Amino acid sequence: MSAASSKGMPVIRVVPETVVSECTIVKDIQAAVKAVFNNVVDALTKPLTAAEKSPKSREPENPPRVIFKGTLEEVNRFFYQRGWTDGLPIIPPTEAAVKEMMTGTDFPADHLVEKLEPRLGKATIEKIAVNAVIAGCLPTYMPLLIAGVHALASNAVCGMMAASTGSFSPFWLVNGPIAKDINIRSTYGAASPGDIANASFGRAMGLITKNIRGIRKQVEDMGVLGNPGKYTWVVAENEENSPWEPFHVSRGFKKEDSTLTLMFAQSFQQMMPFGTDDKGILATIVGSIVPARQGTFAALLTPNNAKSIADGGWSKKALKEYIVKNTIVPDDYFSRLGLKTDKPFDRGDVTGPGVSPQIFRPNPHSPDPVQVFVLGGFGSWMGFLQGGPDPMITKVELPKNWAQLVKKYRNVVPNYAKY
Amino acid sequence: MNPGKAAASYEVLSPWAEADPIPLKGLAPRLDKLDGKKIGLLCNNKRAAPLILDAAEKLLKKKFPTARVSRFFAHSFSVSSLEKNRAGEFNKWLEGVDAVIASVGD
Repeated sequence: MSAASSKGMPVIRVVPETVVSECTIVKDIQAAVKAVFNNVVDALTKPLTAAEKSPKSREPENPPRVIFKGTLEEVNRFFYQRGWTDGLPIIPPTEAAVKEMMTGTDFPADHLVEKLEPRLGKATIEKIAVNAVIAGCLPTYMPLLIAGVHALASNAVCGMMAASTGSFSPFWLVNGPIAKDINIRSTYGAASPGDIANASFGRAMGLITKNIRGIRKQVEDMGVLGNPGKYTWVVAENEENSPWEPFHVSRGFKKEDSTLTLMFAQSFQQMMPFGTDDKGILATIVGSIVPARQGTFAALLTPNNAKSIADGGWSKKALKEYIVKNTIVPDDYFSRLGLKTDKPFDRGDVTGPGVSPQIFRPNPHSPDPVQVFVLGGFGSWMGFLQGGPDPMITKVELPKNWAQLVKKYRNVVPNYAKY
Repeated sequence: MNPGKAAASYEVLSPWAEADPIPLKGLAPRLDKLDGKKIGLLCNNKRAAPLILDAAEKLLKKKFPTARVSRFFAHSFSVSSLEKNRAGEFNKWLEGVDAVIASVGD
């Protein structure tokens, strides 16, 4: 309904049925359609109401800029009850806090960065800053937030990813000098809580998804299981401990550029490698790509794993080619599972004359379906991401006074007491 | 909160984005009957979608034997992708049918 509304049709005729998403049981589908078929006929033939002929917009054209005044608790309650938070407590976005946040950019408050689908909400600098304050960001994250908004607008599929029943989560990878400037963690526990930049940047992008894009849980976001990554999932690549060029350099950027890459990972799996040499690690990767998964695959390698592979003479390109070439579905894979079809997940299999045994490509529509990122601390555990379209990479543009801003906020780091 | 002190008050800005009003469209006029009409069956690429339309087509032909159907496969989940990549082909198909049943398959 919201998708139709954003296309100028706030009133449409929908006939709900009880077919489960992605259902393959024909008799269940037939029964469900039969139960509502008269409603389908009515939807096509029943005369239109006045509201259906000439619909009215459901939203006021000029919502107030200052929305509420109250105590910390009252502000939190007010925002939560309007569906504007992720359920965690918020920082009140006061005029002063938002003004400070906007010191992180040279753009004026009313500068329109993008209109974000599906609602076509205006992502102005001020609106981005309001959501950034709520999430607990520092002003130095504004360049990254602006790049994130551009990333969301770079591919029409982003809206679908956020709303999908498949609960795809944004996975944000930061490359280049900005990672150290703002303390995006790339080493031990890169994806775990405890770092303000990793925590609040991803959180702010989640709030932007709600409050600017207009994608809310069980309204537009129909994710069935949900995904904890939607709170925040932000890492930097561990460039200084990687044997290969950083991801953004392999995508044509300069090493000194800062970039933000967006993937929509559905699954995150960790494995201990079968062996810690190149053969053991490669076998673990290939053996972990299962035919049931769909979308882009990314191997998250610790510096040690990456070094073992590189010591075996592998470039990143050769590694990716090896993974694609050797991820093979045995001929009898599906029949041994009792399935009649040889490709129940038809978005991932590559078949054709002379192709046997079946080769499974994580993303058959992509010329580059496998990604390799080096991150995390010194250890052997490996990580795998799966799902979504090709990574979307955006250059991060910095304001003129970047050095002063970094100096002002760089030392906002946790200092843990020893015991 | 310290109950002995008056709680601080915060005047806060709205996080909800403005959106430009867009021209609103009403629904297309309904058909007086389905007999003899050409019904478009629009199918996205969710795997339940064609099965739902198979069931609908079977019932449609049983109840309205003179109705005809024409299918369009969107090859995507996304309306935006359809508009961007295949608008001409889609609009031409729309012109050739009297009404459309769309199956999302989700």
